[in-house]
Amino acid sequence: MDEAPITQSMPVQDVCDYDLLFDCVHCGLCVEACPTYIATRREMDSPRGRIYLMKSLAEGKLQLDDDSVRHLDLCLGCRGCETACPSGVHYGQLIEGARAFVERNYRRRFFDRFRRSAVSAVFPYPLRMRALLAPLVIVDRLGLRPALRTILPRALRDWIDLLPRLAGARPLAPEAHAAPAADAPRVVVHHGCVAQVLANSENLNSERLLAAAGYRVVHLENTACCGALDLHSGNAARALDFARANVSALKRSGADAILSAASGCSVAIAEYGQLLKNEPAIADDARAVASKVKDLSSLLLAAGWTAPREFRCTVTYHDACHLAHGLGVREAPRRLLASIPGVKIIEMVESDLCCGSAGSYNLTEPEMARELGRRKTDNIVATGADYVVLANPGCEFQIAAELRRRKSKTTAIHLADFLALASNGDVR
Amino acid sequence: MNSLDPPLLDELRAILGIEAIVSRATELKVYECDGWTVEKSSPDILLMPRSTAELSAVMAALDRRAIAYVPRGAGTGLSGGCLPLNAPAMICTSKMNRIVEIDYDNRRVEVESGVVNLHVTNAVKARGYFYAPDPSSQVACTIGGNIAENSGGPHTLKYGVTTNHVLGLEVVLPDGEIVELGGPTEERCGYDLVGAVVGAEGTTGIVTRATLRLMREPENHRTLLASFPDVDSATRAVSLIIASGILPGALEMMDQLITRAVEDAFHVGLPADAGAVLIIELDGLEAGLTASADAVATMAQSCGASAVKLARDEAERALLWKARKRAFGAVGRLAPNYATQDGVVPRTCLPQILRVISEVSRRYDLRIGNVFHAGDGNLHPIILYDERVPGQVRRAIDAGRDILKACIEMGGSLTGEHGIGVEKIGEMPLLFSPDDLRVMTELRHVFDPKGRSNPGKVIPEPGACVEVAAPRRQVPI
Repeated sequence: MDEAPITQSMPVQDVCDYDLLFDCVHCGLCVEACPTYIATRREMDSPRGRIYLMKSLAEGKLQLDDDSVRHLDLCLGCRGCETACPSGVHYGQLIEGARAFVERNYRRRFFDRFRRSAVSAVFPYPLRMRALLAPLVIVDRLGLRPALRTILPRALRDWIDLLPRLAGARPLAPEAHAAPAADAPRVVVHHGCVAQVLANSENLNSERLLAAAGYRVVHLENTACCGALDLHSGNAARALDFARANVSALKRSGADAILSAASGCSVAIAEYGQLLKNEPAIADDARAVASKVKDLSSLLLAAGWTAPREFRCTVTYHDACHLAHGLGVREAPRRLLASIPGVKIIEMVESDLCCGSAGSYNLTEPEMARELGRRKTDNIVATGADYVVLANPGCEFQIAAELRRRKSKTTAIHLADFLALASNGDVR
Repeated sequence: MNSLDPPLLDELRAILGIEAIVSRATELKVYECDGWTVEKSSPDILLMPRSTAELSAVMAALDRRAIAYVPRGAGTGLSGGCLPLNAPAMICTSKMNRIVEIDYDNRRVEVESGVVNLHVTNAVKARGYFYAPDPSSQVACTIGGNIAENSGGPHTLKYGVTTNHVLGLEVVLPDGEIVELGGPTEERCGYDLVGAVVGAEGTTGIVTRATLRLMREPENHRTLLASFPDVDSATRAVSLIIASGILPGALEMMDQLITRAVEDAFHVGLPADAGAVLIIELDGLEAGLTASADAVATMAQSCGASAVKLARDEAERALLWKARKRAFGAVGRLAPNYATQDGVVPRTCLPQILRVISEVSRRYDLRIGNVFHAGDGNLHPIILYDERVPGQVRRAIDAGRDILKACIEMGGSLTGEHGIGVEKIGEMPLLFSPDDLRVMTELRHVFDPKGRSNPGKVIPEPGACVEVAAPRRQVPI
């Protein structure tokens, strides 16, 4: 046999952490856990396929072209594959690295560039977001959104359809809570960027519930975006800036526990230790902050939260990706819901399959997002539940928009808002 | 894409539509290997039919131009069964994933071949049924792939392998003709053509539909975890249990290397200091299960087991099985690459073959872990290597070959469930005489007279050097 020369794989391109690629043994057990593979049935849209693309790019066996970018772009970053992977592949880190590589080396087409810069310039900054949405608040107050829709181009219309009704949604100030016990654990709810503009009730209800359960709720002086949007879209530099700002603020707060109503933000903060590991000045603080990330339901269960009254309804629970796959929290929210007298939980199939929201994914990849949104709402509607409860505002917007489109009677609601509703009969 | 002329492409587009054809190099790159990553070769075109009719039309179009093809399901195979060798076209069944009909009264289910193994059980478990063959890749592998490789899994000791669970098949022959083999009834007369197709690794055409047998969930389980000081005592316990007449649903062994990797990955409470562990699952009617479990525990202890633990509830049982089924992947945490062997020996030879394996490990200076179906003597030595270290790929292949030779010398076989593929084709003449291989070739030609269906697999070409892998292949070693 003609012995081919010994090929030594050496990275020639800095796509991602090359050594991490070798955690993948190409077994393929991840493919059916991947929403995009389930949708397209094609392996370049699977985690194993994308890792293979990254490896081939790193080794110079492939050039970065429209196809490779396409398949890397189509990843939701839901991390369903990390749950499925027996080899412990750090897929999240790999795809974040690959996305930064794409942004450094690939020129996108004009519309795509525009779409992405718009998200990047507005979303992380609540003031800009509020200013941009101000006209729409008036439109909504006048009840003219349906009329507005008809004159907008399709791309913009799809974006606007994702927004909840904005009339009456004014910024809510942080509030004071009854004084807790002197030794009560200190909890910070990180208010996020988009969430505090579009879903602030989730932040405030989380704080009310925690205060009522005996925690000392501490407010951050200034809240920077957690950086997840940037990490997921390849803008590593600004993500690091945001992370540094948050680490100092969260350290100063003296929090014993940190959470966010957005599970994607929670995971981003929980990974600050990894993100900032090469910055000696802040690495220890980042690790300490990261280790304090908790989730609302676990904190409430730990404090022995009980519902003050009966609330009769049927509920199905949607596992937000970063909560289930990132933080590994699945049982706590279900236990909390089941503890409310009168609440009947009906499990949907594929409860931990991504709904297509995935941060800003439903803005940059609307077709795939819609397909996954339809699949998710099919499963929700099949349960016949009154509410679909979830713990992430992005999922709420995405699922609510899809439920509105099909005129379903099921209401999408954040866990914090649902607990408030069940306790007081009102979300506010 | 030199072999694929524009008229053919037009014809394929007319049959499948542009969405179901992949023809650009970047995208085809991810199809250049399956779970056997030692050898790589991209197809020139990937075709993804959605129905038997589409698949048949595609096969007829390829046949008119004498173009060979390789079938692919989920690409989780471990022997390179869907590596394109002199086959420009790849036909993937992943879009053919409908469960056609569930017939509880007759305990059978009809599925398309791209349906994922576990999805069959998921579809029927609410009614208390399951599909028995349960390969470790069952969360992703397809029924079509299972049929091609005659896949097994931990529970085949009691329930049998894929061929014992396939009642009927719809197969598209290489010229596009659709044939029905077997049927929905339990007993058939005439030649067992289903048996000829199951395990043929796609050399007899492409299976598009299968009627599978459903099994009733056993009334209850007892799942035991027994720790032993060394593999010798564990294998003695295996022989003792089987000889006693108790037939466990599954009887699995993991050696220390694997146990530690699995424990690091999943924290299921496996004893890290044990030389070997057995997972023994008894299933059936509740009456008598406790007595059997006690008997098994006593036998394990008499062979030197330091501890025998009974899974207390369904959650503990599920965790044990999760650990076992994901053992292969967990090994990925120990080394960048691994090659899994699949030899079979008579049960009584287990202690000897394990000694051979540890000797091979020393000789080639490669770590080898063992996780396998002890009850049926089906070994899975996992040879760890690092493709970046010069010479290690070669050593891993040679080590695997030495183990297989030893299996055959002990009266065993080359594969229990992973198939021959390209990986073990060079060893076929060790097991079969030239006459055997000629008869197999003749049988294959009944289905595939022109040799265009998954060429270069299972049966070595006459005249090829048998001591090394087929010489025409680009082997990156």
